[in-house]
Amino acid sequence: MEATRPLFIPVILGTARMGRMSLHVAQLVVREISKHAGVKTELIDIAQLPLPTNDAGEAIKHPAFSVAMDRADALVIVSPEYNHGYSGLLKHVLDSCLKEYIHKAVGIVGVSAGPFGGTRVIENLLPVLRELGLVTIFWDVNFASVQKVFAADGTLLDERYIRRIDKFLKELFWMAKMLRHGREQIPLE
Amino acid sequence: MAKTADKMICPRCGVEMNHHCDKLVYGTGSQEAELQENTQIDPVIDPLLGGVISEFHTCPKCGTAACRNA
Repeated sequence: MEATRPLFIPVILGTARMGRMSLHVAQLVVREISKHAGVKTELIDIAQLPLPTNDAGEAIKHPAFSVAMDRADALVIVSPEYNHGYSGLLKHVLDSCLKEYIHKAVGIVGVSAGPFGGTRVIENLLPVLRELGLVTIFWDVNFASVQKVFAADGTLLDERYIRRIDKFLKELFWMAKMLRHGREQIPLE
Repeated sequence: MAKTADKMICPRCGVEMNHHCDKLVYGTGSQEAELQENTQIDPVIDPLLGGVISEFHTCPKCGTAACRNA
């Protein structure tokens, strides 16, 4: 493994809904990742990916998204909870790649207007991510009553989330390093 | 289970890649066609498993991922 190659951990914003509060969450996570030396990140807004809807899967792979997933050592998915589930567009985007995800770490940040902080969408995402070859970590971040956590301009109003994100990221970084070593150095047999 | 013996070569670095994963991929129409087009190998449905075994490889130098049918 090249020790000098930084980790790359993009943050996927998993909703295209107008007025989405999850944007503030995703931007916060990007800022927190950016504080760490040796880790690169970027925000991937699924609303900005022009994927067709008259086909699905790897046939509609978006080149820039594919390159970002190939380069990634881990992913953060920020997902609001819609009717206990994730957005259809997020699934559509995730399904467009496969080899790019294999044996890479993923952490989920759940967002909800209610008190449960996206716990149900996180549980529903886990089997999907597993089938895509991603390795889920056991730390999540739950943004409950998200409208009270951020001001209208995106300013964080509850500093406790910084520590929660820090714990989440430390586990994600560790898993990303381990899995990179495994992908690049440890053969299947 | 069928296994391809020769090492994949990284398209970016030209070094031997590490084969770290096999995955059972079920045919889903155009996705299967895409896989076939990418690998230039006819997908062989494993009669016991009901899908195509894909090998996943990663470059130890640059981290590029690649796959092919087993």
